[in-house]
Amino acid sequence: MPPMTDPILIDDLTLAYGTQRVLSGLSLRVPAGSITALLGGNGAGKSTTLSALLGFTRAQSGSIAVCGIDPAADPDGARRHIAYLPENVALYEHLSAVENADYLLALSGERQPRDAIVEGLAAAGLQEQAWDQRLGGFSKGMRQKVAIAVALLRRVPVLLLDEPTSGLDPRATADFNALLVQVRARGTAVLMVTHDLLSAADIADRIAFIEAGRVAHEASASGAERFDVRALHARFQAGGAKVAA
Amino acid sequence: MSIVRLIARDELRLMARNRVAVIAVVLLVLLTLVAVASSWAHQNGIAELRGRHAHAAESAFKAQPDRHPHRVVHYGTFVFRPLGPLAAFDPGVDAFTGNSMFLEGHRQNTANFGDARQSSLLVRFGQLTPAFVLQVVAPLLLIFLGYGALARETERGTLRLLMLQGTSRGQVVRGKLLALGAVAMLAGLPAMIGLVGIAGQPGALALPMLAIALGYAGYLALWAVLILLVSTLVRRSRDALLALVALWAVAVILLPRVAPDAANAAVPLSNRLQTEVAVARDLRTMGDSHNPDDPHFAQFKQAALDRYGVATVEDLPVNYKGLLAIEGERLSASLYDRYADASYAAQARQNGLVDWVGLLSPTIALRSLSMAAAGTDFAGHRRFLEQAEAYRFALVQRLNRLQMEDVSYADDGATDAGADRRKRIAAHNWQAMPDFRFSPPSGSTLVGKALPGLVILLGWMAGALASLAFASRRLGARR
Repeated sequence: MPPMTDPILIDDLTLAYGTQRVLSGLSLRVPAGSITALLGGNGAGKSTTLSALLGFTRAQSGSIAVCGIDPAADPDGARRHIAYLPENVALYEHLSAVENADYLLALSGERQPRDAIVEGLAAAGLQEQAWDQRLGGFSKGMRQKVAIAVALLRRVPVLLLDEPTSGLDPRATADFNALLVQVRARGTAVLMVTHDLLSAADIADRIAFIEAGRVAHEASASGAERFDVRALHARFQAGGAKVAA
Repeated sequence: MSIVRLIARDELRLMARNRVAVIAVVLLVLLTLVAVASSWAHQNGIAELRGRHAHAAESAFKAQPDRHPHRVVHYGTFVFRPLGPLAAFDPGVDAFTGNSMFLEGHRQNTANFGDARQSSLLVRFGQLTPAFVLQVVAPLLLIFLGYGALARETERGTLRLLMLQGTSRGQVVRGKLLALGAVAMLAGLPAMIGLVGIAGQPGALALPMLAIALGYAGYLALWAVLILLVSTLVRRSRDALLALVALWAVAVILLPRVAPDAANAAVPLSNRLQTEVAVARDLRTMGDSHNPDDPHFAQFKQAALDRYGVATVEDLPVNYKGLLAIEGERLSASLYDRYADASYAAQARQNGLVDWVGLLSPTIALRSLSMAAAGTDFAGHRRFLEQAEAYRFALVQRLNRLQMEDVSYADDGATDAGADRRKRIAAHNWQAMPDFRFSPPSGSTLVGKALPGLVILLGWMAGALASLAFASRRLGARR
């Protein structure tokens, strides 16, 4: 039986926009059934890493694979294995929450019955009275919940999240984190770009710090032993010191 | 359901949930239905009116009493151009060129030298026809419905959302094209139903109707492609709308208005007064059949005497005045024909120039196609003029021959009390004259005339599709 490869594999990736180098030899792997939090300052290259995984930007050197597919060579193929939750959620305002989910799931070939969709919306924390309302009147948080539901309803091996809790209140954030733990439990590889140290410390299996376009430090949690949030914060502020698990 | 159909269905759902869009589509459909009905009624009214007048003119001609044939030559008659069934769809130049002619001896009257190309699309804003609605109004509706189809997705970030579901750029573009194409066909449907109604009319020709249906379907589909092309190239919906409205104004309004004026400036036509003065001048130099001392007719007289082997016109076995009338009519008709041919040639050059502008404006190409297939273009008008002139010439020469054979030379010149009665011939001679019957062109002839417009439209479509395919490869890319 051939060895299982990690759903996300990035090796020595270098990427520049024109003359501006954004990634400089970034390497990262996210195993199945794990959550990796990607931390770093503004402009460190976190979102660019996600963009490269989604096939929207092409690296100059290095390799990148999503479930064995190079997103630069076959972006549509790679995206079929990815659910993505962007920081600024874009959805269709002329459609209701249920219709948005139905349309997007149908496009990805993963159409589900209404019961499953409303279950997903409920799990994402969207209240029942909002299910059949058009998104035109939704708050940012409500839109985010719809997007979370769509991302989670897609039972794909890779979940990419870009600041997923930025529009959520603390309770919704806690609910979301609980959802991510469930997603991990079903074997999904989760890569989460975030500034939310508490969430990262709470649910991530690995935390990677990006500095100057590469992973400067990685830390892993083992079993019940979680990250030290104070140390994480200090690392985030200063950089350089090793973070103890 | 395929991804392309899913995207098309969502685009249609968006339109259906946009109250303004729904109202606009309903208004267009109503406008087209009204245009079909009113144009149909208008053309039926015209056909009935022309038929009635034609019958009255024929009856009046045949009701003439016994009289001298040359008086009948000058009495003349009216002929009217009958309209084909497709004129209800596109009346073309009919309203501007005149449709009746007074036929008499010695001259060609009226519309022969009319400036058919003086009219332009703008003039026809007052004329609500299915052709006008589809050529001018329908593209504008498609623009308002489709300008944001792709620019909106780029602008709001939903294009990436689609691509994140594994949808390719090509599938997105094809889905939008399918949706806008469906709306375009819906916009054209009432007019096509009108065409089907026309198909049941006597004289309706299948081939030209097919050419018209293909031409308009292609034209609306072309607009759908152009709209998506612009929507692909710009990143903001507002910019797409501005660019498309500008394109519509130039292609649909400005160029069709400017092209005939430019053609008229490049190939000037003599107006009616100038032509009549020139013809009168040439007639004077040519000779006068009523003047027996005219040099040309003196020579003609000698040739006639020689042919019959007699010394004087009184000895001729036929009425010399009849012979003179036949020769005079031949000469004047050939002169008028020369002027008419020059005018036709100039107008053909003008039309040729306008057709070249069709390379820049698909509306001009479609208009040429539509009028040609409907038989209401300049060629159709010319066909009527030529047939009317052929009829006039044959009628006058037949009357001249009656004068030559049935009225004696002695009686023709007599002035005594009974002379007037002796010069007359029986009324049954006019009653036996054949009526004017316009011979319409065959379907293949009409389609042949419509082909250049169809080819230009196909060229536009190929270019637009290639551009859209190229532009869609960069859709949503960072700029």
